[in-house]
Amino acid sequence: MKSMNSKYIEMQQLNKKFRVTGISSGAISGLTYGIYTTLVLLAGLYEPLISAVGLLAVPFVTSGLNDFLAGLWLLIYNGGKGRLKEIGRSLNTFPGKMVVAGALVGGPVANGAYLAGLAMAGAYAIPISATCSLFGALFAWIFLKQKPTKRVVLGMIIVVVGAITINWVKPEGSPNFTMGIICAFIAAVSWGLEGVISSYGGSMLDTDVAVNIRELVSGIVTMLIVVPLVAAFPLLVGTVKAGMPLLLLGLSGLSAAISFLCWYKANSMVGCAIGMSLNVTYAFWGVFFCVLFLGELLTPTIVAGSVIIVLGAIIVTMNPLDLIKKEG
Amino acid sequence: MLLPVRTAVLNYLYQAGEADISEIMAALRPMYGTEKQFSKKMFMEHVMSLEANGLAELKSYELNQKNELELRYQINADGRVTAEKYIPAKFRQKGGKS
Repeated sequence: MKSMNSKYIEMQQLNKKFRVTGISSGAISGLTYGIYTTLVLLAGLYEPLISAVGLLAVPFVTSGLNDFLAGLWLLIYNGGKGRLKEIGRSLNTFPGKMVVAGALVGGPVANGAYLAGLAMAGAYAIPISATCSLFGALFAWIFLKQKPTKRVVLGMIIVVVGAITINWVKPEGSPNFTMGIICAFIAAVSWGLEGVISSYGGSMLDTDVAVNIRELVSGIVTMLIVVPLVAAFPLLVGTVKAGMPLLLLGLSGLSAAISFLCWYKANSMVGCAIGMSLNVTYAFWGVFFCVLFLGELLTPTIVAGSVIIVLGAIIVTMNPLDLIKKEG
Repeated sequence: MLLPVRTAVLNYLYQAGEADISEIMAALRPMYGTEKQFSKKMFMEHVMSLEANGLAELKSYELNQKNELELRYQINADGRVTAEKYIPAKFRQKGGKS
């Protein structure tokens, strides 16, 4: 009887540890994505990025460098854990190839659009991009035939209300504000699509390896294909040579690497719904840090809209009561 | 080329039906045993993640002589479908007794 009890207690402790690690990973992923956002914006305040011309040049140069450097950080991490061979093995499987396809949508398209949105609409773009969970649920409905429940539909409506709230009052002196918001929506749509694509069989891959592939593919494709296409290769070279912006992008890459590692880990430990809900708290952190460190103005509409979007995103992905549910 | 380790764990469960972590590690040791990632902690994470993703289920658990938990997992219907869909047949047939 005593051994029955002790094995039951050990198992409870193991389950609790696994769940706590999953939930903490999700929370850290949100915080570090907010830090990444702020650091990329900060890098854009240095030459040659601050005086670069063209709406797309800076977003693609910064997202390409950021993702590539994140990929390098992850190579160091996975190398330390003895998992470098896993990268080739994973790429050799169909789910690994789907991770690459997801990276192409989520990297050059979504990250580029997200940073373009930030450049044009400032911190307002952050909560708009958090509507990705809404699009993830929509695409899962269309492509995976996963019909949304009433709760999901309610969450979707709340997210849309939040997005409208944010746009209700445009900040003064932002001529490209609406374009920035549209870019943030493109990012959200693409991230939603990335989630659906990379979930094809992705559950049987080591998430730390999948994230490494994602960041490297995204960074290399953005720098070698997209950056030359928008005629920004000289800006890329100038940014690398300038020092300070490269250092900041190295730190933002580290934050992004930690964020993605934790997000994927949370998804695979406590399920995609809870993982995604905790991840979207980056909208809070992103706005918070931008107000704190970059002097962004905090208006009542952005505060109300951010809160509404995050609440809606949480309701889309999970029943909020599950977060406080007691372990059975 | 070998399968990624987590996929190989699912593949072993597909072949064996059910197994504990020590059995899985013993079966995969000839292929992956020299790698730094080959540790009980990592295999615990692999099987628990497969469980969290709905591909396997915990069947039973016991304390061993060292007072450590020995977890026994079995593949479920979704795990079988996923293995058949994404693991090439040449890997699934190796010593397969599904």
